[in-house]
Amino acid sequence: MSAAGKYDLTDAKKKQGDRLSEAEAIERAKQGDAAAFEALYNLHKRRVYSLCLRMTANTAAAEDLTQEAFLQLFRKIGTFRGESAFSTWLHRMAVNVVLMQLRKKGLPVVPLEENIETEEESPRKEPGADDPRLAGSIDRMQLQRSIESLPPGYRMIFLLHDVEGYEHNEIAEMVGCSIGNSKSQLHKARMKLREILKTSRAEKATKP
Amino acid sequence: MTCEEFERVLPELGSGHSIEQEEHLKSCRACSDLVADLNAISRQGRLLQGSEEPSPWVWNSIETSLRQEGLIHQPLQEHSLLHPPRLSWRLRWLVPAAAALLIVFGVLLHERGTGPAPTAEQQSPPASVQTAEVMASDDMQLLNTVGARMPSMRDAYEANLRTVNAYIRDAEQSAHSDPNDEVAQQYLRNAYEQKAMVYEMALDRSLP
Repeated sequence: MSAAGKYDLTDAKKKQGDRLSEAEAIERAKQGDAAAFEALYNLHKRRVYSLCLRMTANTAAAEDLTQEAFLQLFRKIGTFRGESAFSTWLHRMAVNVVLMQLRKKGLPVVPLEENIETEEESPRKEPGADDPRLAGSIDRMQLQRSIESLPPGYRMIFLLHDVEGYEHNEIAEMVGCSIGNSKSQLHKARMKLREILKTSRAEKATKP
Repeated sequence: MTCEEFERVLPELGSGHSIEQEEHLKSCRACSDLVADLNAISRQGRLLQGSEEPSPWVWNSIETSLRQEGLIHQPLQEHSLLHPPRLSWRLRWLVPAAAALLIVFGVLLHERGTGPAPTAEQQSPPASVQTAEVMASDDMQLLNTVGARMPSMRDAYEANLRTVNAYIRDAEQSAHSDPNDEVAQQYLRNAYEQKAMVYEMALDRSLP
């Protein structure tokens, strides 16, 4: 869109604060203002797209899901009354779109309770073993790659809790599992990530 | 408390630990390393939120759908050449195509300008003729699309394209008559820039 036609929230934010400027954009979008729709999209596109990308590990699928999430939101924007934060509403919708898509494809959204493999929960390390902590040595790219290699169910819970910041009760409701299962899967996901990151670090260390 | 006992309660632990758990962590390096690593993974995970940017066509597709569904209400008379309606994202390639042709012409002109003087045979440029044909076909496709979506705008775009095509023909003649004339070459580049601009205006978007 041309600079002249662009409804930019940046200035409005400086003057009025995020909530008011977003509220204004929502009101204008309800009236069918194209620039307001675009402003709302620009404000939230990165978070929605990142979520879709990490859940699908496929850019084309992530873009389709992002489009679908925003379209669903914009179709219902007339019903938004502001009882809950707009961003909460949008991200919840994005998560639901992704979950629905994954279910359609038959991918596991969360592992079944009975499939929990307790024996792999924590590799034992003796005190003094030469295995330095990961803490402080994890970079974004490494973590990103490791998340992609997680089984879909673990990946989903990790993304929802640790990346998106949802609470276990919210996750349980969204994916349709118990709170205990959500906690357990999150722990397993983190353990798996630790294992992948350590293996990757060890491989790097042995390379000439 | 033993390591096994600690690990059993670990998935349930939030940020705080009981006195017994704290004492175990102080005395057990393996468990304290484990907790430090899991916390580090969780902290790094949060930094991934909203870290990816969707490609520009996502918004373009959303807006096209919103217009088709009538969610964007903009009276037709508000449209002008400066703010034309959005067209299908599938036509996006026309903008880079026009830009690519501009670059090709720039290179051709540069080579002519720096190389030896062309012979009479070389002065009838097959590449230019071929390119002009491609452009004419592209022009028709653009006009057909504009005509299909916004019939009232078709004449305006056609007039613009005629003007810019005439400008290109004049500039080509000047550049061909004197390949070393830098001003003529600059005119030709400007002419193609203008054509690229008309395409970009029609598609109402910039290159990614």
